Amino acid sequence: MLETLQLMGQGFISALTWMNLLAMAGGVALGIIIGCLPGLSAAMGVALMLPLTFSMPADTGLIVLGAIYCGAIFGGSISAILIHTPGTPASAATAIEGYQMTLQGKAGKALATACWSSFWGGLLSCISLYFFAPLLAQLALKFMSAEKFWLGIFGLTIIAGVSSKSIVKGLMSGALGLIISTIGLDPIDGTKRFMFGQAFLAEGVNTTCALIGLFSMSQVFILAEKEIKARAKAAKFTDKITLTRDERKKIRPTIIRSWIMGNIIGILPGAGASIACFLGYNSAKQFSKTKEEFGHGAIEGVAGSEAANNAVTGGSLIPMLTLGIPGESVTAVLMGGLIIQGLTPGPELFTKHAAMTYTFFAGFVLVQFFMLAIGTLGCRGFAQISRLSDAILIPCVTVLCVIGSYAIHRNMSDVVVMIIFGVLGYLMRKFDLNTAAVVLALILGPISEKGLRGALRVSDGDIGCLFQSPVSWVLIVLSIVGIFSPFIMDRFERKVAGDENVDQAVQDETLS
Amino acid sequence: MKKLFALILALCMVFALCACGQTAAPAESAAPAESEAPAEESAAPEATGWAPDGPVTLVVAYKAGNGTDVTARILAQYAEKYVGQTIVVENVDGGSGSIGWSQIAAAEPDGMTIGFMNLPNFNSSIVKGLGTYTTEDFAAICNHVTETSLVLVRADDDRFATIEDLVAYAKENNTVASTNGAQASNHIGAQAFANSAGFKYTDLPQGNTADELTSLLGGEADWCVAKVADIAGRTDVRALASFSTERLAEMPDVPTLGEKGFYDQWLGSSRCVVAPAGVSDEVIAFYEEAFRLTMEDPEYLEAAASFATDYKNAADTAALIQQQQEFTEGLAEGFWYE
Repeated sequence: MLETLQLMGQGFISALTWMNLLAMAGGVALGIIIGCLPGLSAAMGVALMLPLTFSMPADTGLIVLGAIYCGAIFGGSISAILIHTPGTPASAATAIEGYQMTLQGKAGKALATACWSSFWGGLLSCISLYFFAPLLAQLALKFMSAEKFWLGIFGLTIIAGVSSKSIVKGLMSGALGLIISTIGLDPIDGTKRFMFGQAFLAEGVNTTCALIGLFSMSQVFILAEKEIKARAKAAKFTDKITLTRDERKKIRPTIIRSWIMGNIIGILPGAGASIACFLGYNSAKQFSKTKEEFGHGAIEGVAGSEAANNAVTGGSLIPMLTLGIPGESVTAVLMGGLIIQGLTPGPELFTKHAAMTYTFFAGFVLVQFFMLAIGTLGCRGFAQISRLSDAILIPCVTVLCVIGSYAIHRNMSDVVVMIIFGVLGYLMRKFDLNTAAVVLALILGPISEKGLRGALRVSDGDIGCLFQSPVSWVLIVLSIVGIFSPFIMDRFERKVAGDENVDQAVQDETLS
Repeated sequence: MKKLFALILALCMVFALCACGQTAAPAESAAPAESEAPAEESAAPEATGWAPDGPVTLVVAYKAGNGTDVTARILAQYAEKYVGQTIVVENVDGGSGSIGWSQIAAAEPDGMTIGFMNLPNFNSSIVKGLGTYTTEDFAAICNHVTETSLVLVRADDDRFATIEDLVAYAKENNTVASTNGAQASNHIGAQAFANSAGFKYTDLPQGNTADELTSLLGGEADWCVAKVADIAGRTDVRALASFSTERLAEMPDVPTLGEKGFYDQWLGSSRCVVAPAGVSDEVIAFYEEAFRLTMEDPEYLEAAASFATDYKNAADTAALIQQQQEFTEGLAEGFWYE
């Protein structure tokens, strides 16, 4: 034990070289830029920088990649907040409240919240990385087909939470997302579904493309619809880029909840930051004392989403490092980097290569501080974007949407898909349908489908296999709670409040 | 003031454009620093009479960071010395690889665009009808990496000490084998093994090898087929047999399936370098020689220690592509019992 602590301490010492500190600062800054550009995801950023790290010492190389990962996950929130364009799918839920805050001239506050929560989410996730890695890694092996199915179902129950205005419309949106998620080669037999002879649809509709269309392009249409000059953009811009002590206190429980959820989601294979942000958002809302603020720029909503997606970073490293199981695409790329450096994931990383591993961990901790510093400095500048007139913003966002969707595969067909989803998103918002629910279903549909069909295949069609493991039951109970809690909490609060105001406020909640 | 912000935004967009370029050009930005000098005094093979007069595009049909991408980038980095030009790795993923291969097939046959072809996934994409190309649309240059398939079980699974144990058990009980996708390389391997040993099993497609191994480790699957590189350095899985005609040098204790009386052909995956059909013989000869020299370069071999470099010349590679194509097409009847 003492020896391990000593190794951990030495890790910090070796992480604190000029070279490594420079790597952290550069990696975080680059990550933030990659993250805030739509279409360039954390996975892509890490993959692009991977070849550059081949020639670096192993620890510096890994620290750069870790820094880009963390920076990109945080960076996604910047464009989500300012222009309703989640830079990565991991910030989809951040856009919901963050953009409302921007409309109220509180962009700086929203960015500061995102930065502060990302910092804590990431930092807290290091605790589990340091102390519980071997223990938690086993969790990844408990998630077989049946459990993945239930995880997907549990995730889908969030639709009830994000669509408070009308549950029917929320479910309609979710169903639409599930239908869209069936496009492509089916995950079990490889049958072509709704591909219409287009090979680029073989892997399904690209989530990032759909996200850019549904969130950003539709936003452009909505902005363009109004008489541009008449609309004074966030007239009063008085807010500070810092959080008050009260605000920090207010989001503290949210951050802790999001950390725990994000961390666990990170460990599970197949899940990832894009689901964690919705879970974090949803729980922030459910436990909030000021629920009426949600939909109108609730600071807790931003904190819940951002703390959760950054808590994924530390969590997702656990099964990758200890078992060689990459939980999501970023860690798959990171694993490639490890192997190239001659480090095979597994117990040896904590014995033979412990010095290198703990240097990387220490780097990961320090990266969070760089993220806080660079984020806070940068936010001051970024927040100014919210003062831009729509006449400038509309063409800029359009260009970003097109470039972003093109960049994914360097293929025009993705741009067409993005525009189709933009029109779809515009129509959906006109009919008060919920675009967030579509994205959620699009991400979770394939996970649940593969899980359900895989489980039934192994059990030869016996449905009982879905109810066998304790993990399944935990998820079933959580799903039931997830479905009914908005209604129960709602009723409970009405009783407590006993007046019409709360009722009215709940009715008024809008999401997009 | 507003103008300033507009300017900043415009700069952001310019950066975005550059970032798009990055998708294709990290090798370009990464390599010149160290490779420009040797490129000057180019060690490129001469006699062939042709040499590229600008940056060469190397198409990889998978995402950046994928196994093929990583090995391709290492090859590209060290090959620049012999090619005499910058080699830009371009990731064109999607459509199970077919988008990238379509792009290679459609490229101008001037030798400035070459790419990686992954066997047998390339052949599967033709059989599945994902691509409109055939093997005729490509000209082989050389083989880069070969990975042999293995039959794997969990290291702590004491039901199966040997491959015979597994076969005996599988004949009595229905076993589950996870795969990397329906009719994907590891599914083909599992099926070939089961057919030759005369048992039936349930396949569990997982879409990629990482999830396939997770499924095995978690106990959902009893066994699976994966390639040598997938288990390099792992202690939690155990190889029972290899799909090879001779025992593998790196694992001499693991028998081949053939010597135990089961499937007796080689099976695995290959990554070879190809050009669009119609390139001149000089181009093929130039790259063949350049990559051969690269794959013998000690610096390259040091960087490539984690995977199995296996140079084959253009003629052998062309034969391999054809053989894999016939094999994959032959699977259509009588192979899959469903």
